[in-house]
This record gives sequence, structure tokens and C-alpha cells, in this order.
Amino acid sequence: MRNSNYLKMALSILLHSKIRSWLTIIGIVIGVGAVVGIMSLSENMQKDMEERLSEMDLTAITISPGSSRAMMSMGPGGGGGGGSSASSEDTNLTKKDIMALKSVDGIQYMYGQISGQEDVYFLGEEAELSITGVDPQVWQYSTTDTVESGRLLEPSDNYVAVIGSGVAEDVFDNEVGLNQVLTIAGKSVRVVGILESEGGSGDNSIIMPIDAAVTLIEDAEPDVFDTIVVKAESMDIAENVSAEIEEKLMLSRHVTEKDQDFSVSTSASMVETASEMMESMTLFLAAIAGVSLVVGAVGIANTMFTSVMEKTREIGTMKAIGATNKDILMIFMMNSALVGFVGGILGVIVGSMVTALFPLLGMQMMGGSVSVGLSPTLTAFGLSIAVAVGVISGVVPAFQASRMKPVDALRYE
Amino acid sequence: MSDNFAEGSNKDTNSSSLLKLEDVWKIYQMGETEFAALKGIDLTISKGEFVIILGPSGSGKSTLMNLLGCLDIPSKGTVFLNGKDISHLGESELATIRGQMIGFIFQQFNLIPTLNTIENVMLPLEFQNADPSSAKKKAAELLDLVGLSEKARNLPSQLSGGQRQRVAIARSLAVDPDIILADEPTGNLDSKTGTYILDFLYDLHKKEGKTIIIVTHDVTLVRYAERVVHIRDGLVESIEERQNN
Repeated sequence: MRNSNYLKMALSILLHSKIRSWLTIIGIVIGVGAVVGIMSLSENMQKDMEERLSEMDLTAITISPGSSRAMMSMGPGGGGGGGSSASSEDTNLTKKDIMALKSVDGIQYMYGQISGQEDVYFLGEEAELSITGVDPQVWQYSTTDTVESGRLLEPSDNYVAVIGSGVAEDVFDNEVGLNQVLTIAGKSVRVVGILESEGGSGDNSIIMPIDAAVTLIEDAEPDVFDTIVVKAESMDIAENVSAEIEEKLMLSRHVTEKDQDFSVSTSASMVETASEMMESMTLFLAAIAGVSLVVGAVGIANTMFTSVMEKTREIGTMKAIGATNKDILMIFMMNSALVGFVGGILGVIVGSMVTALFPLLGMQMMGGSVSVGLSPTLTAFGLSIAVAVGVISGVVPAFQASRMKPVDALRYE
Repeated sequence: MSDNFAEGSNKDTNSSSLLKLEDVWKIYQMGETEFAALKGIDLTISKGEFVIILGPSGSGKSTLMNLLGCLDIPSKGTVFLNGKDISHLGESELATIRGQMIGFIFQQFNLIPTLNTIENVMLPLEFQNADPSSAKKKAAELLDLVGLSEKARNLPSQLSGGQRQRVAIARSLAVDPDIILADEPTGNLDSKTGTYILDFLYDLHKKEGKTIIIVTHDVTLVRYAERVVHIRDGLVESIEERQNN
């Protein structure tokens, strides 16, 4: 029999199949939809991550107190945003630590940084905002932020601030402009620069010279830092510098690896950690999707077995009028491949609908740049796994059908 | 296996014998006990004959039909088709022989319910790898022959019993087989339709010289036959030659 005839036979069986077969397809639809949707999400997040990575300063090394690896502090690259929110109460980083690190090779510069949440007043309105105190001598060189208007901090600055675009535009009813004055802890702070929007939490922060910030932030003390920011001379040595810093600090602070009371992380390693986290999350979700595919496959196999049993007499008839075992095998294999294919098409449609829903599901936090839509590769991939699942689940029933003896099959009631 | 069974070497002494059974036994294993459905049948069917195999149920006539139709092989003894021993062939070789040489007509019509009328008629040709357009042409001719051209696109479920059997006859003729083997062809039809079907087969026999073998328990059909083989308890009880015109 010709291949086109196999297809015709398989198609006629599919088109005349009972509602049961169509219900079976749902398993494949959900499985393929989930796999394709998850892979598309992961693909888009990966793209987003790479974009961010290219904007990031990979020479930055962040030292924070506390032994927990504070991976969520996005370091100085994020415009001083957030900072590590005191992972440990009783340990501090001080000027002494900076002194201890003077001898480490490969450091371009370093500075301490503090941060805190304070009430900020503007034209009678109040808002709690994050304030970051940075070293005005070096911050302007180390930051990856750019100003939209005004300027960055300068060494001679005191009670002045550079504010994120969110602070300027969204936080207060009135827009905060250049040279306008915010009141923080009773002090007047003049705005000298407004940063370009980055879409992150950095948009809602205020950056000030550390000496001024110390007097504004409650609990802050001079020469005690929340973070020490180190900039390595080049990206390649950042890891080595980071290791040396860790060694030096352990010596100077008289701690060992066990009771280490600080952590050192490079921005590269933070990116790595984040993408590792993302990868394992994707893997986990994909595994769940895989399970639904397996369930779908079992469903198809089950339906195929029933279908073969119901068609026993037809199989007998076909054999009587000249069908070989191979003909029967091919017809039923083709049939289950078709079931998979139809499930795959519907699954890809479901998957692309899910993908289109991502932006509505709070994916804005990823930076809002997550593009929607299914890539052709993923579509092809989804269809091929669906067909593969169909073929695999059809093998045994089809083989069983092909091995029926015509005499027995014809007698089947 | 590319042997063309239709043009066998005919080494057999009886040159006109198409099917020949020599001391054929069919024994079924039923748990511990053996059951012999056929107990040494000797039978020869010549080309162009109209033979009726008559027997009550349980006589072994269905088993005999399976062997005559190359659907099964004997436990003992030899079956010759066109002088060639087919009693030890494998399933795929038997399938090829059936597909090329034998047209089946069943009591239950056995049309494929998911295929329409013309597709059912084309099916045996498709199993023989026929060219699609010539298969379609041949099927259309055959539907015309059985008077069902206007039903070509209908599914079997939309046809009456008599119409279905006519489609089955058209299907059995698709590969232009030497033998038409009918198993109780009128069993599911009323007597008028049954008569029409039998007349049609008789016509085929007369006009085209087809070998027709009908297996039945219905004694009223014997008037069509040139030879009636009576089967009882797995043995040929008697063979009755009839003069027919």
C-alpha cells in the first residue's frame, strides 16, 4: 500500500472516531501547550536576562554583612537601588575593612555605601523612600546610571540628591524638578539630577553623598557601611579579586569560613545565581508539563487499544482482501501519529495563548520587555513532540492489530 | 515473495484444477483436548466452476472456507492453488495471494464503515499498490456494474443491506480475481434481494467465467450450482453434480 493510502485510511478513521478519541487528545493539548508555553517563557526571560547582562557592570564586587549570600542586592550597578537590607544586626562593615582591603591587587576603587528607608517630604506630601548614601568621589565613575537632566554627584556635594525618575514623576502629586528641595529628617536636600528610567526598583530611590546620608538615615553611623562596593580593574580578574577580598577580610575580621560574618559577591555571580534559579524553575515547570504529556500518551495508547479491539473485524476484512501485516501496522501507527499531530496543533495554539498572557501575569517585574509570541522553532518542536508521543503510544496497539490472525479477527463479534 | 500465483506452473496432473485439497485436516487445540474440524478432506475445484459447499453449522464448512480462501493453513495435508503448494506459506505471502487471486463476499458484508462506497471498492487495489487514478476508474466501473454509481460518496451505514452486498461484490471484483469466495452471501438479506445477489453472481460466472465458491447452509441456493459439496462432521459426505444452464 502507498503511503498516501495509509494517510487516507488513518484520516478516515480519525474523522469518524468517537468523542472518546477527541477527549483523549486533550491530554496531548495540555501537555504540548504547557511545554511550549514554559519553554517560550524561559526563552523570553533568557533574552531579557542577556539584555540586562549587557548593560551591567561586571567588574563590580559587593561586600555585605551577614553570612547569608545576599544575592538580591543588585549592587552598585542598579543605581544604588535597594542595597542589602541588613541581613545581620550585629555585624557591620566599617572603614577598618576598607583599610584591610587596600593591599588587594586589581582594585580600581572601592567605597562604602549605606542605605535606609526614610520619610521624604515634598510640598506638604510625604512618602517613604529608599535613600542610598554613596561616596561622591567615585560614585559618578562607577555607576551605570545616566542622568536624564541635571548631573551626577560631585565630590564637593553635601545635602544634595540625585533622584530616580519614579521619584521625580510618580511618587508625589507634583513633579519634582531640578533644584527643588526635598525635606528628609528635617534637613533640606536639593535635587541636582534626575536619572533615566530603568524600570526597576532603582527608579524610586534617592542617592546622596554618604556623609550627608549618615545624618539623615536613622541608626546610621559614620564609617559604618551597609555595603562595600569594589570595582575591579577588569572583568576577567573580578572573580580572583573577589576571592582575595574574602581571604583578606576573614583574616582581618578574625573569622573562618564557618563563622564568616560577611559575604562577597560579584555581579557576574549574582547574574549567574539568578539565571540558575530561573533555569531550575523552568526545569521544574517543564517536568510538570512532561508529566502531563506522559499522561496524554497513556490516554492515546488506551484509546488506541480500544479502537483496535473495536476494529478487529475490519482488520480481519482488510487482511482477507489483501492487507499485509505491515499495511495494518502502518494504518494504525499513522492514525495515532495523526491524533498526536492534531493534539500538537491545538497544544501550540494553547501554548501561544498562554505566552500572550505572560505580560498580564505580572511579568512586568522582569523589566516589561518580555516579548510575546511563539518562535517558529518552538512551534515545530511542539508539533514534533506531539507526533512522537502519538507514534510511541501507538506502537504497541498497532503491532497488536497487525499480528491478528485473519481467521480469528473475522470471527470476532 | 514475488511469485505470481496466478500463473502457476501447473505441474498437477489435472490441468484445469484451480484449488486442490489432499487429505486436509484442521485440528484445534482446546485446552487439554484436541478438536478436529476437518478430518481428511479431498476436494478439487476447477477453473470456472460454480461450487456450493453445503453443510449444517458445526460441519466444518467455515473451516473449509478459510482454507479455500487462503485465510488459514491446514494442520495436516496439502492445499494446492494453481498447482502450487500453499500449505506452509507465511501470513504475508498468503495475504498477497488473497489480495491478487481471491475476492471475498461475507454474510455481514464487512465493508469498512469509515470509508465511502467507492473507497471501499478501491481498497483491494490500494493494497496491491495500484495507481490511484486507475484504481478510482476501475472502482467507478464496478460500481456502475452493480448499479450503485449514484451512491459512490455514501458511507456503508447509509445503504440498505442489499446495496451493501452489491458494494461488497464490486469490491470482490476489484483486483479481477480468479476466485470469488462467498460465505453465506444471502444470510442477512431478504429472499428477493438474496435472489438478486445470486443471479448477479451466476451472471458473472456465465459471462466472465469466474470461479465461484459459495459456502452456505441454505439448500435453496443449490439450484445455481454446477456442483454441490455436502460437508458433515469434517468430512465430504457426498458430491452432487448438477446440470445447469
